[in-house]
Amino acid sequence: MQRQIQIFEDKNIPVYTLSYDEADALRDFRDAHKITYPLLSDPDSKVIESFGILNTLIKEDDHPWYGIPYPGTYVVDASGTITHKFFDSNLAVRVGPEQLLSAALGESVEIAERTEAESSEQVEFDVYVKGENLTSTVQRNLVAQFRVPKGKHVYAEPAPEGTRAVNIELDEIEGLVPRDVIRPSAESHKLAGTDETFGVHHDIFELAIPLTVNNAAGEEIRVSGSIVWQSCDDEVCDIPVSHPFEITLPVAAAPAVALGSKKGTALEPNAMAHFVKMTERRK
Amino acid sequence: MNQPDMETSGTKVETGWRDKDGFVGPMQPGFGPRSDPRGDFPTGPEIGTAMPNVICNTADETNFDLDQDRNGRPAIFIFYRSAVW
Repeated sequence: MQRQIQIFEDKNIPVYTLSYDEADALRDFRDAHKITYPLLSDPDSKVIESFGILNTLIKEDDHPWYGIPYPGTYVVDASGTITHKFFDSNLAVRVGPEQLLSAALGESVEIAERTEAESSEQVEFDVYVKGENLTSTVQRNLVAQFRVPKGKHVYAEPAPEGTRAVNIELDEIEGLVPRDVIRPSAESHKLAGTDETFGVHHDIFELAIPLTVNNAAGEEIRVSGSIVWQSCDDEVCDIPVSHPFEITLPVAAAPAVALGSKKGTALEPNAMAHFVKMTERRK
Repeated sequence: MNQPDMETSGTKVETGWRDKDGFVGPMQPGFGPRSDPRGDFPTGPEIGTAMPNVICNTADETNFDLDQDRNGRPAIFIFYRSAVW
């Protein structure tokens, strides 16, 4: 996060982080990594508990682990309303800065890499990844942006029986950790001459899949799959389209942690001392 | 929300334990910090509601008040597991 913090500062969007660490541990972390955004200390997990996100799967006497949250992020607008939140069931996975910036700005960020524009007879699309690489444990969005001609629509999920909903279908790729497709709200469309209504998308819209990579990924990863849709006008539907895509991205190492899992991998000289202290204090 | 189920899927590998997403760590899924939920789990206040104020200490042990500090600006608020481990 620190590497991208300037982007948020330029937009006057403060970034706050909170954890159950003692203040002195946070100071050492801040100094070691030259962190400039606020690190907040909640050593008794009162804030975490008040948000209702205490990880209650960890037993109260399991120290020092008890007291952590289900890690997650809230995006708040100027009025103080939560506009987005990002949680993942895997403790290791976290939202990426590009996703946060897009959410905070309510708009697309600059596209770092994208394929050549693909087109069919009717619907056009681009596929790209918002970010320069895939980083282990940090999510970035694979985005498919669709442009639907005027007078046409594509089916949203769930599509009527016998038709195809617009979708990104990823191939199974070793090392790739995808999550569910993020879809915009569908518009309700009434089929002419009937009482049937379906969810559809018009004009320009995006689907996205959060991606990260695990330990099996090499120095680069090929992300491939198909973009599928079925377009219709008020009278007739075209046949479903399935268009393959492929993007190759470099893979970056996971962000470093203070306390390495092996002897000699600790990045901060006091990490083990803090770990012992936080364990003892909670007993 | 009821207590979530625990995700315990894991495979022992040479360097530790591989979880369902392929991440390898020293601890077995279902134990200690790898007590991850399976299925739905609590994610706190809902989208569209007011962000609760946060009052706590900073790393410098000074008072922090989210509403005061944010001062009408949009913001990102991240709950991390730990800066130590």
